[in-house]
Formats: sequence, structure tokens, C-alpha cells
Amino acid sequence: MELPRNITHYMKHPDNPADSPELRAGKLYKYVMENKRPVITDENLLAGTTTARTIGVVLYPDFMALSIWPELETISRRKKNPFGITRAEIDELNFDIFPYWLDRTIQEVARKDNGNPLCQRIMERIVFYIATKVYSISHTVPNYAMVVERGLLDIIREARERELSPGSSKEDRAKKDFYQAVQLSLNGIISYAANLSREADRLAAKEVDTKRRQELLEMAEVCKRVPAERPRTFREALNAIWICKIALHQENANVALSLGRLDQVLYPFYAEDIKRGMTLAEAVELIGCFWLKIADHVPLSPETGEELFGGSGSNQAVTLGGVDIKGADAVNDLTYVVLKATELLRLRDPNVNARYYPQVSKKEYLDRLCEVNINTGATPCFHNDASAVEALSGQGVSLEHARDYSSVGCVEPSSGGRTYGHTGCILMNLTSALEMALWGGKHRLTEDEQIGPKTKPAVAMTSFAEFKKAMETQLGWLIDQVVTLNNNLGRAHQEIHPTPMLSAFMEGCMEKGKDVISGGATYNSSGAAMIGLADVVDSVTAIQEFVFDKKKFTMAEIISAINADWSVPYKKLQAMVKASPEKFGTDSRMARANADWLIGFLHDTFQGKENYRGGKYTVGYWTMTNHAGFGALTGALPSGRMKNEPFASGITPVSGSAPVLTSCLNFVARLDHTRIADGHALNLKYTPSTTTMSRFADTVEAFFKMGGLQVQFNIIDRKTLEDARKYPEKYPDLFVRVSGYTAYFKDLNPHMQQEIITRAEYDLGTGEEQKYG
Amino acid sequence: MTASPTANLTTARPLVFDIKRHALEDGPGIRSTVFFKGCPLTCLWCQNPESIDPGPEIGFYPRDCIKCGDCVSACPVSACALEDPFLIDRKRCTRCGDCVEACPGRALRLIGRFYPVDELVDILLRDKTFYEVSGGGVTFSGGEPTVFMDYAAAVLKALKDSGIHTAIQTNGFFAWEEFEEKILPYVDLIMFDVKLADADKHREYTGQSNELILANLKNLLAERPAASSAERAEAVLPRIPLIPEFTATVENLRSISDLLKGLGVKKCSLLPYNPTWISKAENFGKNVDPRLSRYLLTPQELKKYQDIFSWPVCVQRTGRSELVTF
Repeated sequence: MELPRNITHYMKHPDNPADSPELRAGKLYKYVMENKRPVITDENLLAGTTTARTIGVVLYPDFMALSIWPELETISRRKKNPFGITRAEIDELNFDIFPYWLDRTIQEVARKDNGNPLCQRIMERIVFYIATKVYSISHTVPNYAMVVERGLLDIIREARERELSPGSSKEDRAKKDFYQAVQLSLNGIISYAANLSREADRLAAKEVDTKRRQELLEMAEVCKRVPAERPRTFREALNAIWICKIALHQENANVALSLGRLDQVLYPFYAEDIKRGMTLAEAVELIGCFWLKIADHVPLSPETGEELFGGSGSNQAVTLGGVDIKGADAVNDLTYVVLKATELLRLRDPNVNARYYPQVSKKEYLDRLCEVNINTGATPCFHNDASAVEALSGQGVSLEHARDYSSVGCVEPSSGGRTYGHTGCILMNLTSALEMALWGGKHRLTEDEQIGPKTKPAVAMTSFAEFKKAMETQLGWLIDQVVTLNNNLGRAHQEIHPTPMLSAFMEGCMEKGKDVISGGATYNSSGAAMIGLADVVDSVTAIQEFVFDKKKFTMAEIISAINADWSVPYKKLQAMVKASPEKFGTDSRMARANADWLIGFLHDTFQGKENYRGGKYTVGYWTMTNHAGFGALTGALPSGRMKNEPFASGITPVSGSAPVLTSCLNFVARLDHTRIADGHALNLKYTPSTTTMSRFADTVEAFFKMGGLQVQFNIIDRKTLEDARKYPEKYPDLFVRVSGYTAYFKDLNPHMQQEIITRAEYDLGTGEEQKYG
Repeated sequence: MTASPTANLTTARPLVFDIKRHALEDGPGIRSTVFFKGCPLTCLWCQNPESIDPGPEIGFYPRDCIKCGDCVSACPVSACALEDPFLIDRKRCTRCGDCVEACPGRALRLIGRFYPVDELVDILLRDKTFYEVSGGGVTFSGGEPTVFMDYAAAVLKALKDSGIHTAIQTNGFFAWEEFEEKILPYVDLIMFDVKLADADKHREYTGQSNELILANLKNLLAERPAASSAERAEAVLPRIPLIPEFTATVENLRSISDLLKGLGVKKCSLLPYNPTWISKAENFGKNVDPRLSRYLLTPQELKKYQDIFSWPVCVQRTGRSELVTF
């Protein structure tokens, strides 16, 4: 409540209504930070909270806060993920806050600026795509190295010097506004830290427990110094980063704003403190405190959002290990300390990502990663440095910068601290293009309405090439729409929501004198995640095999079958399609060719588009919970999938159609990862009883040596998950990997629970997919 | 060169009834195991009864059956009946495969397929990276892989050319000269079954005397003059199946232990009995000897048998039983 209250207050009473967007934002966030309540929670060694509560939901009034307006009265009572809210708060939102923002959100500004365009109306049909810029500028890694190596005063000094440089052209004036905004907002952060310091002193004065009093006094000292000055200790460095993260979350939605390579950034402070006598237990405790802080806020999601994204934390990715900018092994003692804290706490946030470089990283490191996975059941996930570096280099990132990548949000590799890549700005449902290719540009959900271009109805097609052509036409059209929408939203952001704090922590912005939203970062790209890959490849392959190659049945028959949801007269057809070994995730050459074609087409088409900051679009295959959400909206498919069933997640094969583990890993590893620069999530389950560290490590090592980009696991069996669905009270902290991030199983919506329960589970004793009833 | 003891089988085209990927119990590391069809022995306890006959069989996978009845109308000799459980009258069935063709959901499958050498090698090389990272490779099993010396040799040679670790699991019933010439140069590990020390009992329970088998084992352990005895011991791993009342008797195991000791063996492997094969054999229409146990060995029994051997013994879990009926 604090944030929407303060933002709304400032926006209603701005310092000077004639300020440029940049300057206004600088003043706004200075106001927000100065007026932020300093909260120190019990038993944590780090000061500050994201919201005014110990754990809270952040409401961003110009992003998506309005989406819960209709639900304010019920949101505290809903079954899944209820949010606590008081009567007085509801009234304040109803009468003071929300009315002001009705036509001032990103969404409405973009709509007004572009005359309610088709691309935005298409999104409202939900089943085609989602452009997430309506609710965030996020999915990026700020440069925390800057915070701990320089301190904010030094950044402010640089901004001041640059502001004072001569020049009075229009462009120069814009730059000066930007530099002023940086100084204003960073000073706001320093004020907030000073308030925290005073609060710690105040609490210390009345604290009776001597140990806690000492901790509070130290905390006051820490906040007196950081983040204004360069930190001197491990604890100061952690608190400096945490305070800046709090600040960034006032400005930028808490969706996948990631932490980067903490074991690298913090190592010098850790090593110094160890030399001075800090024990490993103390280091683990500090990381543990930090982890609990990271999890102190959750994203807002309305009821319909629960269907699509339910149970998601805020996906703040931490990246560990891998190589340094010269290509040498970068795993250090702190890497292991962080793994230990992760293993002990089993939290959904942060989302821990481990980098591994075959033949450079040590085997014992991989073994340890596998062990932590076995012990936590779901974390960390694994990234292959060799492939990720190659994928980023293909996007024009320098070799050194590519080697310094970290994971953003779910799985997206990004050169941290210097790339604004909004890696999750587009979520596109690939099956909607398949539907339009089958029905000449119409979609079953929107019935007779001509949505996409009119292509030849599938029943009249005489070759597989013709069908592929129609798919390309529909996909190309969808991509045009969603890119236009994202660019509209980006321009609306430039107009109403510049981000001086994020820009201060981003390499490139200071030199260019530009906000990240206007292209200030060194690298500028946008990432589009594709949903339903395996289901579409299997469907297209079924059409190729049965309709055109073997001519076992006609296109008309397959269309009748899916319109009838594979009901009784079509059971034989369905059995035939399902039993075919030509599937995504097997040795099938046909399925491989179709996967290569689709991935190639999507990459080439998106790469041909430019975003509103002059960067390129990259494509990824990770789905969060959207594969369940979009699946629930989608009818039966030619692959044999029934109506409303979840799609396969990420880049994972459809459950039951890739029975051999080695074939599955082979298939995914050999897809061209240079065309998957926005990352992918291969989600597998291993049966716990047969999962040993060495068997586990062998499969990961082999997958990476063959070129696989990313893989992540749930080490859990179906029986346990089914029991957890039935008796959630028995499993309050069971956490699972969804598709790129971890979540508590009990928080997931029923579609998503079902998807995880039926997700392919491999037995490492036999290397085969487990078969259940 | 003596005539092949399996001449009557080798006239058949070599069929493979399964290629098991990510096999962990057929030698070191992650392996692909090729199961050949056809065996010169007829052990009472054979866990893969479908592997004895060198010809193709029809396998039924109940999980995939949608009970459409297409097999019933397709069968020219009315051997299929849509009953519960589904039945193939094995006496009538001519294994023509028409039902397999007709089955939409692949619930009926032809067990035993011929792979041209290139195709089999191609499949086995697909998991090369898994072999490399785990110290694994390819294992030939059966049935009895040495029934098809020329074919096996061609595949093994191609695998060795690609740097793959190779192993075979054999019952030892083969012509020594031919084995020495065709197979031995291309295998890194030979898992050699030693079932019964007594020749008569061996003949009674497996259909053949153990004379040739033991002679071959002696030859193997004496072979490769260039190699040190330690290397020879590494390359040959005797395996003793523990079948209660048949091979798993104190008397038999003592005799085998003495025999192996006399041959200089340093390590062998015990294969504990797994009774899950019985229902499969019964469905297949095979008479199961009533003396065969229907229980797993107890840890105490296993310990007792292990103690008979005075050198490192590894106990291997055996038996994968897929729900398939014959």
C-alpha cells in the first residue's frame, strides 16, 4: 500500500508539472524512497523490506494494480494465494488511488497513443499471446558490482560531472535531465538507508536481548555506511545490494528482476572477511538472511492471472559458478557457501541457477550440484556455459561479456549489468498459429471471426509443404502483431515510466546519458518465449506422417477428430497417432526436421524485427505456468492431445511420448541453441529411489557435451505428488520446479499441479520413462 | 576348425529383440545392450524365454490396447481373441504379423527384428557421449550373441573403430576357434556364465553338457599372451546365476568356486534370482518347472552364497520385467 500511496500522492502533486518524463521520475523516486518506512524485521541480520510489511505484495499503480480492482473484496478470501488487505486499504484504493490511474497505466496510454490497435485487442483474447510489458519493466540483471565496488556517492559524483558538461542542444538537455534524475533517485536511496540506520538505533535502545541489541547496533553502523560508500565487509556488501534491490523494486515490477553472479560479485568481501576470522557458519547465515529477504515480497496476480501464472514467486534469479571473462573456472568457496544456504532453506525465491562448463568446471562441482538437487528435490537448475556463450555471441555480445552471462528470471542467459533484454516481454502460444493454419486464419475459440490472414483451408491442401507454408503465414502474422504491441508498450514506458535507478545500475546508460527504456544499456534486446513447442511439433509431424506420407487418414478426418475431442469414433485414430514413434524427444528424423524448421523460422522472423530501443528480438522456449494456462484454453490437437490438457512445458517432450532418456536428451541437445538465444527450460523428473549422484551427474554432463543449453529437475515421484495434491497440509513446504522457476506445490493451480504430476519421470536405474496406470 | 555347435541356429537371420539404452547393469558405465534372439541352451530358468527361439514372435503390450478388435479380423487363422485378458492362441499363431500391421496403437508388436549392420551401429553410436562421460559402452546379450558370429563381429568391429568399449554376455557355448578369430579381437569385457559344475546336471537343466563351456573359459583365461594375467582377469568376468534348488546349492557353488580359483580368476559376479519372469513364461505358453522358486532370495541366503567365494564378488541385480505377454 505504501508504494501506490506514495506514487499517487507525488503524481497528483508533482514538483513541476512541466518536468520531462526523466526528471519527473527522478523526483518521484526520491520522494518514494525518502518516504519509505524503514522496517527491520525480527531475527534477520539485514535491514530493510520491499514493502512496509515483513512479507508483502507490491502494487504498481501504473502497471497492473488495477487488474485486482474488481477483486479487492474477495482477494483476502480466495483459495489459492490469498492476499491480506484491510477495509481501510480497500477504501483507499477504491476512492483515492485507482481512479487516478484509470487512463494512466502503461496499457491505457499505449492504447490511447495507438488508437486501440488490433494487436492490443488480440491480446485481450488471451489465447494468442501476452505482452508482459503492460505490467513490468523487468527481466534484467542490474549491475550490483557497481554498488559494491563504487558506492552510490561515486555514481552520483559521476552523474553530477556529466550533468555539468557543456552543451545546450535538445539532446544535451535530455541528457542533463537524465543525469539529474540519477542523482535525485540515488540520493533517495541514501536517505532510505539513513532512515534504516536510525530505526536500527532506535530498536537497539529498547532491545533487552544483548545479542540482538549488538546485531541492531551493527546494523545501524552498516546502514550508516552503505550503499552510499563502498562496503568494507561481506555483511555490508550484502546489505548494500539488498537496499538497492528494495529501491529497484519500488521503480520496477517485482517480476524476474534478477541478482546475477552473486558468488563473483561478493567473493572479494567474503575472502577478506574469512581472512579476518569470519567462520563458514557465519557466511552461510548471512546468505540465509539474504535469501529470506529476497523472498519478502510476492507479485500481484488477479484471479485470471492465477490461472496462468499461479504460484509463481518473483523469479529473482541468482547465478553461480561457470567461467570468468577469460574463460577460466570461476567456481569459488562462496559458490559452495551459497549452495549450502540454498540446500538448507529450500525457498522458492531466489531461483538458483548453476553454470557449468564441460571440461573447464570441475567434476566435484557438478557432483555437488546434483547432490543439492537430490536434497532439495528441485534446485539449482543447470546451464551449459559452452552453449550459452555461443548463443549470446551470435547476438553480437562480445566474448568476454558473453562469458559473464547470468540467468534472468527463469532461464534466459543475458550478459548481466550491461544488457537490458526484457527477456520475457512476449509469451506466444504456438498452438494458436497451428489452429489458424488448420482453419484458414480462424481460431476455434473465436469461432467465425477472421483473426489471422486467410490461408487455404487445410482440408483443401494437397501437400505437407502447403501446410507448412500456411503455418508460416499465420506465425509471421502473429509475430508482427505481438512485436507491434511490445513496441507500443515500450514507447508508452518511455513516455510515462523512465527508470533512473535501474539506469544508474546499468553499464552504458551513464556514457550515453540515456535511460534503459530508451536504449541506454550497452546491449538492447527483447526476448520472446514460445509456448507449446513439443505439442506443435508432434501435431505437425502427425499431419505429415499420417495425412501426407502414409495417407492413413485425411485432413478432414483429423479435423473432425479434434473437433470431437478424439471421442469414441476417433479413438483408433488417436491410438495410431499416439503410438507413432515420430515424436519430439525421440530418435525420429521427421520430428527433428520439423522442430528444426519451426525453431529456425521463429528465430529468423523475430530476428528480422527491431524493438523500440533499436535492439533485436530473441526467441526462447520456457513457459513458467503458461503451458498449463494456455493449454486449459485450447482444444484437442492433431498430436492426440485432448482438449484443455496442459501443453508440455518449456522445451520438454510431451509426457509419454519420449520413453528413452538418452534419446530425449539427445534430441533436445542437438537443437540449434544459437537460435534459442532467449534460453530454454528442459524440465525432467527423476525418480528419487534410483537417482544417485553419479548417475545424475553423468546425464547432465552428457547432455551438455552434446550441446544442451539448460536442464532442470524435480527429484520426486508421482506418488508423492499425488499425495501432496490430496493432502496439502502434509506437505506445506514441498517445492517443485515449474518451468524455469521453483514454487511451492500447494500454491499451484490444479492444471499446473496436474502437469507436474504427469510430467515425464525418468528412472535412472533403467533410463526409461516411468509408466503409470 | 570344429563345426559350430550352433549350426542349426546360425542359418537363421540374426534378430534383435530389444536394444536397451541407458543400461546400467550390463557392464561398466552407461551402456546400450543389444539382445539377440536365439540360444543353443534351454535353461529351465531362462528369464527371457522369448529369446530362445531365433524366429520372430508376437508380443502383446496390454497398456497400449484399446480393444478395437482389428487384430481379430486381421488374423488369418483366428488366433486372436478379444477376451480379458487378451489372448493369442500360440498353437494356432503362425507369426505372420498381420495382427501387428492391423493394430493401431502398437499394442501388438513383432518381437525380433533384423537390423542391417549399418543401422544397428548407427543406433548404438547415438549414445556415444553417454558412454564417454560414464566409462560405458555397448553390451551384446541375448539369447546368445555368439550364435551370430559374423554379424556380431561386423558390428563389434565397427564399434571398436569408433572407440567404443564393448562387452558380451555369453553362455560360453561356442566354437572356440571361430570365437577367437571373429569376436575376441573386438571385445573388451566378456561376461561368462558359469551355471553348474556338474556335467550331467548341466545337461539335464540346460540341454547341453558344460564340457565345451568350461574348455572355452579355460581358453579365454589363458588367451592373449601379450596381456598380463591381471588384464586377462579384468577382461573376463565369470557370472553365476543363483537359481534356488538348481545352481544355488552349497555343493554346486563350492565346486564352481574351486574351479574358478584353479583357473586363476580374481573376481566374479553373482546374479540373484528374480522370479518375475515366471508369469511372462506362463503367458508365453511355456511349462514352468514346478521346482522353480517363486520368491526372491533372502539377504541371509545371499550372504551365505557370497561367503562361499573367497575373492571379491560383486552382486548384480538382474531382471527387468516389462509388462508384456507372449
